[in-house]
Amino acid sequence: MEMLKAIAIGLPLTVLVTILALMIGTVVALPIVAGLRSRNRLIWLMSRGLVDLLRGIPPVVWLFMLYYGISIGAVRLSALQAGVLGLGVVAAAYLAEIFRGAISAVPKGQWEASSALGFHRATVWTRIVGPQTARAAIPAYTTFAIGLLKDSSIASTIGVSEIVFMSSQYARQSGSGILVFFVAAGIYILLSVPLGLLSRHLDVKMRKAVAR
Amino acid sequence: MEQLMIELNPQTTQPVVQVKNLAKAYGSNVVLRDVSLSVAEGSVTAMIGPSGAGKSTVLRCMNLLEQPDSGEIVIDGHCINAGKKTSPKSLAALRRSAGMVFQHFNLFPHMTVLRNVSLPQERVLGCSREQANEKSMELLKRMGLADKADQYPSRCSGGQQQRIAIARALALGPRVMLFDEPTSALDPEVGVEVLEVMKELASTGMTMVVVTHEMAFAENVADELVVMADGGIIEKGHPGQILKDPQHERTRRFLRAVLER
Ligand SMILES: Nc1ncnc2c1ncn2[C@@H]1O[C@H](COP(=O)(O)OP(=O)(O)OP(=O)(O)O)[C@@H](O)[C@H]1O
Ligand SMILES: [Mg+2]
Repeated sequence: MEMLKAIAIGLPLTVLVTILALMIGTVVALPIVAGLRSRNRLIWLMSRGLVDLLRGIPPVVWLFMLYYGISIGAVRLSALQAGVLGLGVVAAAYLAEIFRGAISAVPKGQWEASSALGFHRATVWTRIVGPQTARAAIPAYTTFAIGLLKDSSIASTIGVSEIVFMSSQYARQSGSGILVFFVAAGIYILLSVPLGLLSRHLDVKMRKAVAR
Repeated sequence: MEQLMIELNPQTTQPVVQVKNLAKAYGSNVVLRDVSLSVAEGSVTAMIGPSGAGKSTVLRCMNLLEQPDSGEIVIDGHCINAGKKTSPKSLAALRRSAGMVFQHFNLFPHMTVLRNVSLPQERVLGCSREQANEKSMELLKRMGLADKADQYPSRCSGGQQQRIAIARALALGPRVMLFDEPTSALDPEVGVEVLEVMKELASTGMTMVVVTHEMAFAENVADELVVMADGGIIEKGHPGQILKDPQHERTRRFLRAVLER
């Protein structure tokens, strides 16, 4: 019972860290994608470098740097802030690549037809390329979200009291060993399976709508 | 040059399309050299020639899907000069005057047929949803596709999709319709549906420029035939005349290849 309570306390933080990091990642990914698509070599190079930097360093190192390394004046990031921010910017790099791929999967003819019809750039993005990109990105996006759900456990290393943090704390205190981690594992599966199902459902539904 | 063009074009009215000294290269690959062309109001110009001649490039330069290196394009009085910077406004005006139909239709796959035809009217002409839908249904009916309005394009045959694409372009009220091999991606039987629609369109006085390999269309429907090879126009004139008695050796070789297939 105590064990379930420990995990129940961790659960909201796991979900919170995942959702916030995903939101930050999605928003920050957009300007990065714009940079990766830029014809300006300097902007492109900077975006490319940023993505490689974010992905090249292990997330746990980012969290340590943000949590222990950054103190702007008197301001220090809380464990939760550092965790969300760190996972968020790393997510941004991966999501930027996912979005970039999805955008380039939109056939050239869609752009040409849009231009020939005289659409404004904004219309092309919101009505033509955007929706098709979103569709193409859904499977990879949810796969990434499921990965992020599990990677949010990395935040336990800087003391964010999410599921893994609470589980290991409980294990240490109660001495009951491995069992709590099995329960934690079960919770992760319960969280990620519906996400996967939802993604597949959306994918199938949209494929059917425009089926060949 | 100016003088010559006026002599070649006996109509007293201003031509709908004028292309002057168009040139275009991709890197060192010169694709168009000095192409000049004028299309009279209500006429149908067929453009033929071997693969790589630059037919698509001429067409795509006309509405600036491709930026020419030099030359001038005038469509319905909207003038674009390759040397000068084009303002978004004159670009929009030019594209509004020219409707384009592609080989691979390029319909929007995530929208119903009706939305495909209506959205451009709403966005480009500023029509209301009702106005746009009314016009779209009228056009779809004319194309024999009224029953497809609520389908997605992928549920339609290639011939149907191309007719939807024609309706989508017509809905914006263009002064000239540009067709780039509209039937090349279609089975011959299905291609006929599209050619019928184009014939009907021509008979209503629509000005058309059609890149095609359909010799029957070029001969029977077109008023003017343009033969391109190696980035230039090698021959132009009355279709029957050229097909019967081509002046240029390159034309003869091309026609032999096409007709003996
Ligand atoms: N985007 C591009 N980049 C580089 N070269 C190009 C590009 N588009 C066309 N070309 C080249 O320009 C030349 C003319 O191409 P174009 O498509 O205008 O020919 P076409 O007469 O339409 O031929 P087809 O009958 O095969 O459609 C070709 O040599 C082609 O390789
Ligand atoms: Mg072509």
